[in-house]
Amino acid sequence: MQEVSFFKERVYPILFMVFLTVVFISAISGIYLQTASLVEENETIFLKRAVLFSAGIPVPESNNEINRVYSERVKEYMVNGKPGVFEVNGGESYAFRISGPGLWGEIEALIGFDEDLKTMTGIDFIKQNETPGLGARIEEEWFKAQFRGKTPPFSLVREDEEDIDPDEVNAITGATNTSNYIRDMINRSPGQAAELLEEVR
Amino acid sequence: MARGQAKKVFVGAIGADNPVFAQILGICSTLAVTNNFRNTVVMSLGVLFTTSLSGFTVSLLRKKIPGRVRMMAETLIIASYVIIVDIVLKAYLPDISRQLGPYVGLIITNCIIMGRAEAFALNNPPGISLIDGVASGIGYSYVLLVIAFFRELMGSGTIFGFQVMGDWWTNWAIMVMPPGAFFMLAIFIWVVKGVFLKEKEEAKA
Repeated sequence: MQEVSFFKERVYPILFMVFLTVVFISAISGIYLQTASLVEENETIFLKRAVLFSAGIPVPESNNEINRVYSERVKEYMVNGKPGVFEVNGGESYAFRISGPGLWGEIEALIGFDEDLKTMTGIDFIKQNETPGLGARIEEEWFKAQFRGKTPPFSLVREDEEDIDPDEVNAITGATNTSNYIRDMINRSPGQAAELLEEVR
Repeated sequence: MARGQAKKVFVGAIGADNPVFAQILGICSTLAVTNNFRNTVVMSLGVLFTTSLSGFTVSLLRKKIPGRVRMMAETLIIASYVIIVDIVLKAYLPDISRQLGPYVGLIITNCIIMGRAEAFALNNPPGISLIDGVASGIGYSYVLLVIAFFRELMGSGTIFGFQVMGDWWTNWAIMVMPPGAFFMLAIFIWVVKGVFLKEKEEAKA
């Protein structure tokens, strides 16, 4: 009698949890393995799209086209174990993986420059946790596109200001901190870009 | 299963026993994801999927789950379904997955799901537990969608990212920030309790 209740009280719960864990983890692992290649492909496509965009190259619609254009035109250099410098069209322009602080977490961007490393060809964000609807609007097309062809350092003007000088960019209303972080990150970037390029050469 | 019971469970979760405005559960995600309609839709679907299937699974196993490890078992079951949602989003909807970020994983800690598993699925057969899960998911979802509708409309002037309001409209930045969520949720609960659930409250008193 004693032993039966010992089994029921102590052993059965452990066996039950082991069994349940094995069943569910196997199911999840199966689904994970099924989709792993797709997930990985999504991530590389995301990065390639960002490189092309920041280098000022029109980004094709289909994934196949993106892969083709990318492999034809872009050469990757590793920095700290991941692609950090991207040489475009044999050195006509470059994109750099540059990060800086954000409001809620690190912001990581690809910033593209002409070969002189002064004029920007574009910017795209690959990691940001800014407030959705406010700071996260840095992902909007108009915000990213306004840097193209301009030379940092920049100062910020209001979002609705239409009369802007070449060294000014529109900030985002309601996201003053995020706008300042982006401005600082970009203003710092030419120096960092030169260092990165030095490092990989 | 009796048809009457199913109907009662379903109507209850959507109306008088609604998980959000009657039981005040799942408030964390209600506040966090409702500033953007599209994210809210995906979040709602994720919760709906998880409440339904976790309720069903817990109920299937209810006679086998030892009492003292029942919460561990429930958490394992819930977490598994949530991870499936996360993997599927990463594979097939990478953009939305990126926007929702950590919130999908946080479905695991959504009290509605654990609450329904504990309060309902452990004591009821699988069929009715599934209905209870679906109803709770729908009850949660429509409240979020209503709140998200007003927050995105007033905060960004858009719905689903499409511009709805004209040039005359000034966006209320507070609506997309966390305080806007508290105001909207409070107003929602106030209206629902004041207008729709009034008779019930009075009858009780």
